[in-house]
Amino acid sequence: MSEQSVAHPRASAIGAHVPLIDGIEKVTGRADYTADLDHHDALVGRIFRSPHSHARIVRLDVEKALALPGVIAIVTGEDCDVPFGVLPIAQNEYPMARDKVRYRGEPVAAVAAMDEAAAEAALALIDLEVEELPAYYHPDKARAPGAVDLHGDRPGNLERGVHHEFGDVAAGFEAADLVREGIFDCGEVTHVQMEPDASLAEYDAERDRLILHTCTQVPYYVHLHAAQCLGMDTSRIRVVKPHVGGGFGHRSETLNFEIITCILARAARAKVRMKLSREETFLTHRGRPNTRIKVKIGMTKDGRMTACACETIQAGGAYGGYGIVTILYSGALLNAIYDIPAVKFDGYRVYTNTPPCGAMRGHGTVNVRYAFESLLDEMAGELGLDPFEIRRRNLLKAPMETINGLRVESYGLPQCLDWVEQASAWAERRADLPKGKGLGLACSHYVSGAAKPVHWTGEPHAVVNLKLDFDGGVTVMTGAADIGQGSDTVLAQLVGEVLQLEIERVSVIANDSRITPKDNGSYSSRVTFMVGNAAIEAAEKLRGVLCAAAGRKLDAKPEDIECLGEIYRVRGGQDPGLSFKEVVEEALAHEGTITVKGTFTVPRSHQGGRYRGAGVGPSMAYSYAAVAAQVDVDSDTGLVTVEKIWVAHDCGFALNRLACEGQVQGAVWMGLGQALSEEIRYFKGLPLAPNMLDYRVPTIVESPHIEVELIESIDPNGPFGAKEASEGALAAVIPAVANAVTDAIGLRLHETPITPDRVITALVRSARDGRRDKPELGNTG
Amino acid sequence: MEYMPEFRTARPATMAEAVAIKAAEPGARFLAGGTDLVPNIRRGIVAPPTVIDLAGIAEMRGIEPLAGGLRIGAAVTLAELAAHERVRTAYGGLAQAAGGVAANTHREVATVGGNLCLDTRCVFYNQSEWWRRANDYCLKSKGEVCHVAPKGDHCFAAFSGDLAPALLVIGAEVEIIAPKGSRVVPLGAIYQDDGIDYLLLEADEMIAAVRLPALAEGFRTGYAKSHVRSAIDFPLAGVAVGLRREGKAIAELRIALTGTNSMPLAIEGTEGLTGGPPDEAMLEGLDALIGRQIQPMSSTFSPPGYRRRVVAKLTRSMIRALYLGG
Amino acid sequence: MIMAKSILSLVLNNRRRDHAVADNMLLIDYLREVCGLTGTKMGCDGGECGACTVLVDDRPRLSCISLAHSVAGRRVETIEGALSDGRMSRLQRGFHEKLGSQCGYCTPGQIMAAEGLLRRNPNPDDDEIRQGLSGNICRCTGYVKIIESVRSAIEEAAP
Repeated sequence: MSEQSVAHPRASAIGAHVPLIDGIEKVTGRADYTADLDHHDALVGRIFRSPHSHARIVRLDVEKALALPGVIAIVTGEDCDVPFGVLPIAQNEYPMARDKVRYRGEPVAAVAAMDEAAAEAALALIDLEVEELPAYYHPDKARAPGAVDLHGDRPGNLERGVHHEFGDVAAGFEAADLVREGIFDCGEVTHVQMEPDASLAEYDAERDRLILHTCTQVPYYVHLHAAQCLGMDTSRIRVVKPHVGGGFGHRSETLNFEIITCILARAARAKVRMKLSREETFLTHRGRPNTRIKVKIGMTKDGRMTACACETIQAGGAYGGYGIVTILYSGALLNAIYDIPAVKFDGYRVYTNTPPCGAMRGHGTVNVRYAFESLLDEMAGELGLDPFEIRRRNLLKAPMETINGLRVESYGLPQCLDWVEQASAWAERRADLPKGKGLGLACSHYVSGAAKPVHWTGEPHAVVNLKLDFDGGVTVMTGAADIGQGSDTVLAQLVGEVLQLEIERVSVIANDSRITPKDNGSYSSRVTFMVGNAAIEAAEKLRGVLCAAAGRKLDAKPEDIECLGEIYRVRGGQDPGLSFKEVVEEALAHEGTITVKGTFTVPRSHQGGRYRGAGVGPSMAYSYAAVAAQVDVDSDTGLVTVEKIWVAHDCGFALNRLACEGQVQGAVWMGLGQALSEEIRYFKGLPLAPNMLDYRVPTIVESPHIEVELIESIDPNGPFGAKEASEGALAAVIPAVANAVTDAIGLRLHETPITPDRVITALVRSARDGRRDKPELGNTG
Repeated sequence: MEYMPEFRTARPATMAEAVAIKAAEPGARFLAGGTDLVPNIRRGIVAPPTVIDLAGIAEMRGIEPLAGGLRIGAAVTLAELAAHERVRTAYGGLAQAAGGVAANTHREVATVGGNLCLDTRCVFYNQSEWWRRANDYCLKSKGEVCHVAPKGDHCFAAFSGDLAPALLVIGAEVEIIAPKGSRVVPLGAIYQDDGIDYLLLEADEMIAAVRLPALAEGFRTGYAKSHVRSAIDFPLAGVAVGLRREGKAIAELRIALTGTNSMPLAIEGTEGLTGGPPDEAMLEGLDALIGRQIQPMSSTFSPPGYRRRVVAKLTRSMIRALYLGG
Repeated sequence: MIMAKSILSLVLNNRRRDHAVADNMLLIDYLREVCGLTGTKMGCDGGECGACTVLVDDRPRLSCISLAHSVAGRRVETIEGALSDGRMSRLQRGFHEKLGSQCGYCTPGQIMAAEGLLRRNPNPDDDEIRQGLSGNICRCTGYVKIIESVRSAIEEAAP
């Protein structure tokens, strides 16, 4: 029997293709998302939003609305004077505006009513009188001398200026044979997770307790902020995360509607369901900001980089949110991918009268990487170097520590480049492509969990509890939020791996603050790495308990017991051993229900340097990716079609090949949207495309095949060598496509998305300039 | 539950009943596939007290031969139209236009009549009630100002239906029914270049069917459009061309556009471009002819200059393709 | 104001249903709020994402822009009706095993649209799969594994 279990590897073993453990619920429609939860006795919650971009509130009259039949409660900024925000040092957002409104769409009041019609009628009767203030939609305007300060404590509306220099940048440019500078503009983009925002809050007036179900990536932060804003003890609040329909960073901080639903439920002394429309979900935003990047690179004539200087200006929107982290990432992650001896970064995070930006897949690094990889390609061209060659000449040698204090322990970028070059048949293909088609390459990287949590408490960075009881099932309890990326599945696999069990024996209970241990949440690709390591430690402890039990029964030392999952036996012995059930019975007889805990903490050595801002960027491991894109550019319409993508992603070790491939494909494809079609533009602070028609998420028709190779560099600190798999490849896609477009049409666009009108404008301008240039050349020649 | 304003639904069984209801209640709206009207109701753009559901009217649904051509009921779906054998072979441009509307799921219910009457579109109009109110509404709905051309008194919302240009180049006619009787007019006669009153139908009139004439031997049609995504999107601009060649010369040429004006635009003066091959001189004349007649404005996400240019480019390519063959 | 209601009769997931339904009720609200079939999802403000796709007489239909009464006398199928004998349909199995579903929110709509496609065209090529799912946005997968999921279902059906 034991022979058999060796001969047939477990289907759910790490490294296998394992379907999601909650996949059956999802494909049968049984998975309950927040809006699907029982709400037959819930009131309807609706938010009254500011129609003004920037204004002082003079009067807010809700009396008429409150008098409507069917209206139960109305709450306003008066009901909460405690600000919240994901960064303890930058909390400047109230659930509902108090003295001022700072963007169109900002919550001002909220209604709880018997039904939709009453709620809708109440909203129409709320009377907001304001004194308009000058509004700024662009950082230049917000920073201009004399501009009104949105928050009163940030002159020039500069939320954070970052000025970092590592190495001798001046000397680096001095030593360069070629120095080039480029300016790049990236349009604002947003997550458009398929599930619109929703919360369900139930207030128990007898006990002064609150239960909140909400679609979040960070249940723990939501819990903290709900308690903070409602002035309730955290023990009186319970936060549950049901199935969540995607996040991509939108839900990686507490969002105003979640707190509002709680305030409303308490005011109404009832259960309130808040479902935001797609438009309101766009207004809640927290996406990637409109960014201007000026990047300058110096290199020797053989293509070795000597220095880089980068200036980045982000239109952050009206509130702090993750803003400081975003601008710090933009600078920090100029490093840890190539060997650049000197790097200077000047970053400006600016408040504007638009919906707040925040974290979005590839947080902080994406737009800067686009600019950098675009300029790198330009310079390679000038030096006559192939895009692969110039990148190979600047590779790191791991293990190493970067000039800004990031430790790179595993580095699969060389293998990523090799695979992409071969799989795409780069040289032959590039030579053979007809006019109007092009090939482009770019690379990128990302953290596997931010080494420093934003809420620094001194606790371990991750905790997992395991329970084993009479039923013989292993229950994993975790606060990590599965938002579709499959983290529950990977935790079950890791526990199964250590215990050599199929995951049918393993169940995961996640995200109920009453039951599961605290977790910081699903952001910065931290879950597989940090929570995964905690799960391994917990499972090892459980295996220790079981081996001890088996040892007692088999009269052997625990360390001599071999765990084969369903069989425990003495290593090297002839005895058939004990079944899992027998071992569990013995263990329970010894101590009753077994609970063990595993934790993980990033050691100080990997938490970064000691300068201001050093806490953002450090991670125990970095993922790497190389992407090649083949495009076709229609010269009539300017439409760019991506025909094929080749991507190699160094995820350390693919714990679940199916899920890793899916994550890489999803990241690549999301990058394609930003590269080609997605963009938020504002008209006087109103988003022009707050819907899924004009905000153009790619459809299946124009989405290309994405061929994925998982490179396994086996990180020394990752769970079985694993690193992140869901963010790193995104940033490379945009410059890969941009470089391919340049290859196709012979000129470079300096902005994203590369829409048909921008392509045509560039072609027309180039033709016109060409005509103007020719006689001049004739004259001088 | 999603908020839907209240309305009553009438479910007539015949066209005569439908227009009688409409005559009695001019503020009512006809509902066919709902792909245009229902989102507009959900966004509060229109709030009809009564919706006249045409789904139960069998006489609006067939495609039948008529005088060498076809008669297409107004409630025929775009999916049916695009898949119809005779339409595909004899009226290629129309099949292309129908098959390229939005996405397959929309085409399953969206109808010929609905696409012809498609409300004009504008980024300042196709927004929620909250959005439009925050922006002081607009000329087309409840407001005083057109945000596209604030100094004028004209609405520039763009007509974006795909079928109309494809039908215009084949000289299609529409049957219009009203309580007082029916009339048959050239399709172009039901439109005017006004973003608000783009349809020249009386309050009690309804499109009953479209009549496609028999086409002259060798008269070929095509439809192409500019888009960002390959599905779901409305056309940034669309071009239908009908062309007949005799020897090396273009003997007959018709061009119609969508997305450039508040109506589908049949280009006038194309006969001046016939009599020779589509050489550079002819194509430059074509650019000038189109350029004079179109008026794209900043009513869509794509800038007017782009739409102006792409229309000319698409028309050139389409003429060359039809001239050369197939 | 309480809206007047009239009786809506239909066959929903193989069962006959009769409910008093207001004229302005959307099909998706009827399915979710009246029948409790919450597998059908609302993702957008009107027909732009496909998450609400159901089958009406075997053809895909966007339930968020259809009035409930428009399916009177028709045969409506939702994701809850896709199971047969308590087991997953071949498309459900395909989406599960090939990871055509990540967050799962668009999945019911994708599967119903794919079901509609396979009933019309049992052996579609990749382009036909793309066209058949052209109205269904997915934000997680990049669609690659959705195509593989549908193909896997087609192969399961092949002898």
